[in-house]
Amino acid sequence: MTIRNVRDHGQRYRPRMACLKKVEALVLEMQDPKTGVKSQTQRLVITTIPHAITGEDIVAWIVNRFKIDAPEAQSIGSMMVAFGYIYPLQDHKRLIIKPDSSLYRFQTPYFWPAQQWPVEDTDYAIYLAKRNIRKKGMLELHEQEQYNRLHKWMNHKWDFIVMQAKEQYRAGKERKKPDRVVFDCQERAYWVVHRPPPGTVSAMDYGLDRLMDPNMEEKKTPDYYRRIIIFTHQCIMRPRVKSSVSIGAIVKYATTYRQHDPFLCACLPSNPWLTDDVTYWDLNKPNVEIPTKMRVERWTFSFGELLNDPRGRADFRLFLKKEFSGENLAFWESCEDLKWGAAVTMKEKAQQIYKTFLARGAPRWINIDGKTMEITVKGLSHPHRYVLDAAQTHIYMLMKKDSYGRYLKSPVFKDTQKKAISPEPHRFSEAQLEQNAKKRRPSLSPILLRQQEEEQKAKLAASGPVDITQLCRFTAPVPHLAVYTGICEAQTNASPGLMTLPNSAACPSPISVAIDSTPASERRFDGHGGPASAHFPSIAESAEASASEESQPPASRSRVASSLSRLLRRGCVAQSVFASLSPKCAVAAGGGKVQPLSTEPLTQSQPRRIANFFQIKVDIPPECRIYPIDSEDEEEESPGAARGGVKEIICPWETVTKQDGAG
Amino acid sequence: MPLCNNKVADDGSGPGVSAQPPEDGKAMVDSLIKVVACHRHLASCVGGSTDSASLRQELQKTRERAQSLAVSCRHHLTAQLRDKALPEDERKETELQWVAFSSCLELFHADMSKVFKMGSHFSLANNSAMVQTGMQGGTTEVTARALSQPDLQPSADGVPTDSVERLELSQLEQEITQVDRTLEEMEMKVNVLRWTVEARGPQYADPVSTDSASLAMLSTDEEGGGHRCSRSQVFVAMLLCGVATVAVVLSVCVVYLA
Repeated sequence: MTIRNVRDHGQRYRPRMACLKKVEALVLEMQDPKTGVKSQTQRLVITTIPHAITGEDIVAWIVNRFKIDAPEAQSIGSMMVAFGYIYPLQDHKRLIIKPDSSLYRFQTPYFWPAQQWPVEDTDYAIYLAKRNIRKKGMLELHEQEQYNRLHKWMNHKWDFIVMQAKEQYRAGKERKKPDRVVFDCQERAYWVVHRPPPGTVSAMDYGLDRLMDPNMEEKKTPDYYRRIIIFTHQCIMRPRVKSSVSIGAIVKYATTYRQHDPFLCACLPSNPWLTDDVTYWDLNKPNVEIPTKMRVERWTFSFGELLNDPRGRADFRLFLKKEFSGENLAFWESCEDLKWGAAVTMKEKAQQIYKTFLARGAPRWINIDGKTMEITVKGLSHPHRYVLDAAQTHIYMLMKKDSYGRYLKSPVFKDTQKKAISPEPHRFSEAQLEQNAKKRRPSLSPILLRQQEEEQKAKLAASGPVDITQLCRFTAPVPHLAVYTGICEAQTNASPGLMTLPNSAACPSPISVAIDSTPASERRFDGHGGPASAHFPSIAESAEASASEESQPPASRSRVASSLSRLLRRGCVAQSVFASLSPKCAVAAGGGKVQPLSTEPLTQSQPRRIANFFQIKVDIPPECRIYPIDSEDEEEESPGAARGGVKEIICPWETVTKQDGAG
Repeated sequence: MPLCNNKVADDGSGPGVSAQPPEDGKAMVDSLIKVVACHRHLASCVGGSTDSASLRQELQKTRERAQSLAVSCRHHLTAQLRDKALPEDERKETELQWVAFSSCLELFHADMSKVFKMGSHFSLANNSAMVQTGMQGGTTEVTARALSQPDLQPSADGVPTDSVERLELSQLEQEITQVDRTLEEMEMKVNVLRWTVEARGPQYADPVSTDSASLAMLSTDEEGGGHRCSRSQVFVAMLLCGVATVAVVLSVCVVYLA
């Protein structure tokens, strides 16, 4: 018994299957004794059964009726068999039309597929029980499995099912022998269509169930008409594109992606859905070491393709790291994280992003035009998910027009292209295909996948990219901010895996890793890859605690060439001073993260070279806030105790509302 | 003429009805299952090569029988289940029967709807083309089994007219809605928790006991109930037993050959 008065909003209706009516009409046309398909008799051991038709007759009739060619007629015939209107008498499990003398028969209308009545499991259970009786317990493997499963799920009506199966069996015995054979064949064919054996494709696959019943007539209430009116209004107001333009776009898309479509061209090595061999998925994992040639080719199609593929994004990140402009990508990724992340942390995230990327003197400052900056800052006073959209689009376009082109010509990309593999296509025999089908296993659980993703992120954070812009004297008051690798975020379960932003929350000993991963010229500046933003609030707090505003004379560009080693040392000293200054600064004082003195033993010759290097690369706005260290430097005052704390980056909206602790 | 099935079925009234033992209910439910099984066999012929006026007639008769059985079953079971003083094991038994009864009725409803749909599509009066399904023989034996009448005259009515057919179809429609309503009311009136009902029978149907189910056997069973001790009767009984044994042997042979 089924529960009938279910009043939830579940989706339980099958979608419209308009083709069924058309096939029915065709089948009825075939019945005509004069113009229909000619029938023969099937001879069994003792009986003869009429109304058998050959495959070639069916195909010939369809060719004649629709005036089409043989392969198309064959596929129409196969469709009729796949839906269950005609069933094969000899190879009953393969639902195709063989255009030779193999025999078929029409299915009785009772067993035709119907839109309004889905196939019930109760009926299937009764059929299996009957089959069990007839075959005395020798059911096929999948039937046996289904039987056991149904016995478990429909246990409450099992007595009824067994009883009904027995009664149907007995009633069947009342009929004459040939009729019994025909009925058995009909029923078997019906269940091959609606409960296909494993390894076969079913024509009755229809995707998801729908919310509304397609057979139900909709009542014409005022609400209905209101909906129709709104719909037509929207149709009128839709923007239009010239058909030549849109067709051109479709043609271009089709020609570009043709080789990459698994329906049109065979994918290498083989399509796992067809051959049950998962090499293709293994080779195309999100963070595989060596990508396939097809994948690398896809990256050249558009910038969006490159960014959407995690491996491509990693490659791009590597390239940007070599070019020292990784902050653009980092900003873009953090904006994505903001857009897709949890609502709880959104406000903090937005502010962190501002402090890290957008504010004047931010450690990873990105270059956006004044108007966008204005809009963004105004929006940040009331942050929501899409507050950074304008800036994000700007940076995206920047990367697309500038970095992307250079990336495609870069040695990084060329290297990846060269190393990319192109697997050989598989050639499985029938026996091997069956073997593969038996060895099918479910894929990794999503929990494990998520764990792997997190580990990946942590690894990336540890060996994060270094942006040289932040190592300029103007932006490196506290050198430990040099290796800032992204938004410090306690929980990463918000992001849907779209971004593989290196999470600096879990980075191990920064010095060793940083020294290993960066070239010698940068080594001295790979200070302390701590969770910089975690430092930020603490430093901010300490700064506020010490609370002395400094005057900010603008720095001139020419001063860039001052010795950076001195700066560094002073900065390091200053840092330790800060640590001692603020008792609240538990993180900074936590030790282990700040090891200034280890970068000491570097020669003087290097900084000059680096300074020149910096002169080229750095792009600092003319009026950035100068940190007390720099002003000390310029005014040639004695190093030592820092006068006040570092000028923390105050978000402009915070000055409007009274500052309340960490931003 | 159809029996008066269209009256609104009234509930079993009072505790006096529950005096009937649950075995009675079981027998009623079993016979309902049998009739529904036969009805399904008949329904599978509609629209096929053996579709004819007699088939439709047989369908109608089977339907009526099923409905009358359903009505009486329902009265009985509702009364039993509403009776608060029912002992626990009897209640379990009755609940099992209730589940069987409602599943049976659902199957019957589905079959009736299909017959209605196909009947309107494959109209006998308009001489629409029937599907050549390969069936040849008639289904009178099945109907006879359903109605438990050993000899059944095939009613050769010829081709019905359009209006008669439409009348029959509208009647069928009414019956379908009635069964629908019955099912809904059943759900409302009696609260049987499906997850507490456990099947008692075996998981696999016993193949041996389902042999030898021809009409001859059935008639022997039914006639053997009220035997009278007259010599001719004894002789006839012995003859029938001999025939029955031969039938058993033959059916075993057929099963092994099939």
